[in-house]
Amino acid sequence: MSSVANETTHATGSPAATDGAPRRILLAKTALDGHWRGISVVARALRDGGFQVILGGMSTGTEIVRAAIDEDVDLVGLNVGGHVEVAERIIGELRAARADLPVFAGGIIAPWAAKRLRALGVEVFPPGSQLDEIVDCARRLTGTEPSDVSG
Amino acid sequence: MPSHDQRPPAYRSASGIELKASYGPEDVPAEHARVMGAAPGQPPYHRGGFPQGYRTKPWRIFQLSGFGKPEDENERIKFLLRNGETGFLMEHDRNTADHLYNVDHPDVVARKEDVGLTGAVMQSVRETELCLADLPIESTFGHAGGAVVQHAPFALAAYWTVAKRRGIPLAQLFGTGQSDFFLTYLGCVTKQQVPTAPGLRLNADIIEFCSEHLPKWVPVSIAGYNGGDTGLNAWQELGAVMANAIEYLDEVERRGRMDMTVAAQRVGGVNFRTTMEIFEDAAKLRAARKMWHKLLTERYGVTDERALRMRIHIVTSGAYMQYQQPFNNIVRGTLMALTAVLGGTQSLGVSGYDEAISIPSEHAHQMSVRIQQILEHETNIPAVTDPLGGSYYVESLTAELERRAWEFVDQLLAQGGFLATLDSGWLHARARENQESQAIAEARGERKIVGVNCFKEDIAPWEVDGFPPVTDAYPVALERLNAVRRERHEQAATAAMRELAATCRDPDRNIMPVMMQVVDAEVTIGEIGDIFRQAWGDWQTPKLV
Repeated sequence: MSSVANETTHATGSPAATDGAPRRILLAKTALDGHWRGISVVARALRDGGFQVILGGMSTGTEIVRAAIDEDVDLVGLNVGGHVEVAERIIGELRAARADLPVFAGGIIAPWAAKRLRALGVEVFPPGSQLDEIVDCARRLTGTEPSDVSG
Repeated sequence: MPSHDQRPPAYRSASGIELKASYGPEDVPAEHARVMGAAPGQPPYHRGGFPQGYRTKPWRIFQLSGFGKPEDENERIKFLLRNGETGFLMEHDRNTADHLYNVDHPDVVARKEDVGLTGAVMQSVRETELCLADLPIESTFGHAGGAVVQHAPFALAAYWTVAKRRGIPLAQLFGTGQSDFFLTYLGCVTKQQVPTAPGLRLNADIIEFCSEHLPKWVPVSIAGYNGGDTGLNAWQELGAVMANAIEYLDEVERRGRMDMTVAAQRVGGVNFRTTMEIFEDAAKLRAARKMWHKLLTERYGVTDERALRMRIHIVTSGAYMQYQQPFNNIVRGTLMALTAVLGGTQSLGVSGYDEAISIPSEHAHQMSVRIQQILEHETNIPAVTDPLGGSYYVESLTAELERRAWEFVDQLLAQGGFLATLDSGWLHARARENQESQAIAEARGERKIVGVNCFKEDIAPWEVDGFPPVTDAYPVALERLNAVRRERHEQAATAAMRELAATCRDPDRNIMPVMMQVVDAEVTIGEIGDIFRQAWGDWQTPKLV
């Protein structure tokens, strides 16, 4: 079976954590659109920032919720490659399963769609976002101090 | 004030070629200098395939277009043709087409709002008929879609079946397919896909079928663009395109059913991207034509002039279009289009200024056409062929790109060939290296992008919100799917499917004649996909991220 991300990969950088255990992020694509360049660059930056990145590939809401729980992640990153309504539904399913799990989103997200996601309390990183802002956001959302490995 | 003895920054092209402050005759290597003066229309064709260039044949204005229901796509195509587009291009819904799923497949239902977002849903020939309604396909160059390898046989057969039903002889049709390995196995890796070996068989079948029945049709189009926008640099894109062509031509030669001159002519319609790296990318097109001539004459012994001229379609890089301050993208689109024209492209699509936000709005689409028309009619550039020819700088870049690209071809062949590098992930790793170095250069500000990592203040009074998604594509497609199932001649459909399954299992048979029967019997893409999956299984995706 093909998917954008077909294996779990782990951090090589210093752990982004206060208690020694690296924080875990699930990155998943909401659409059946296989362009992978964006998620690749973001995954690399997060790993370099000390996170363990679990790649969920092109996943449905059900699959994302299951992976988030099975992998016991601290944060979910959604690559929104399709309609914002799909992302909204997935966020709802995630919150129903684990209300405390933070979510952030990136991808081709039009300004009007970004507003809708932000209204749900989801931070949005459209194209052109700086990678260090994404990593900082991940640290904030997982309650980890800025790591000394950056820069 | 900067002091003159300060160490200058290293100037390099986007692909890493070191650049001097100026160029002279000593910078053009002897091998290239010997042929560089050959006129346009003369081998090795780096200066262009035709002596009169755009005087006799302007480039084709050819924009990607499509979304929603087939009627929505049809309306957009007519809008573009009315605005001066000179060929049209069909986009199919990614969810259904790329995966050969009908809309009631669970993976599609789970994200039904996405259906139709970037292309119209065409599950059976009925929907293709709606998409092509009133379009003069007998006299207009058309792209039938089928960018993804496993989808192409259906997309082409559906287009051709519409023509047959209108009484247009297939031999009269001119247009193009795509079946692009770069998109399918490198840049936009689908969740499910036939493996590369049956993918190659499908493409060779299409090439053979077209040579017999559709002599004016470009059967497959190698799209280096999709390699470039995934991360391959200019000489990697060039080299990989040549290595891809080698796979097709070797396969056709191995089968031994086609004259190699005809095969070369069929495969010689190729696509690249242009970016903001103006001179390197214009030189890339010149190098591509020269390399094509060398590949065909030396590897395949082709001598017919018509088969030795590569025809180029350019799409300006979508990855270079920015989300921030999107009106700047009109300038970027213009410069990238200019690059394509200076490089002598035969056909051109300009990314919409809202490319980083959505599929093109009508206005963005119109601007993409207008950019091309301004270049054609207001600049006088088309008056002279290969206007960059003879520039020490551009000739030096052309030669250096060619040298590096052949080295890359050798590396690809040493890895077992283009397909092997897709199967192993070797080519993805090359793309990833460049993705990473580009991201670092942007983060450090070494690569400046206006409005994105510098000069960020934006006083534009307009917000560009992109094109709003169509909301009824899914329910309408579901209704149509059920209608086809209800109304078609079931016995004919079943017989055609059985024949298709048998043909898939027999590599000596060409799949396209039976695909024409399958499509005519109103078999749906989901059923075709099931037959392919049964016959060939699923591609084992290499490590991407």
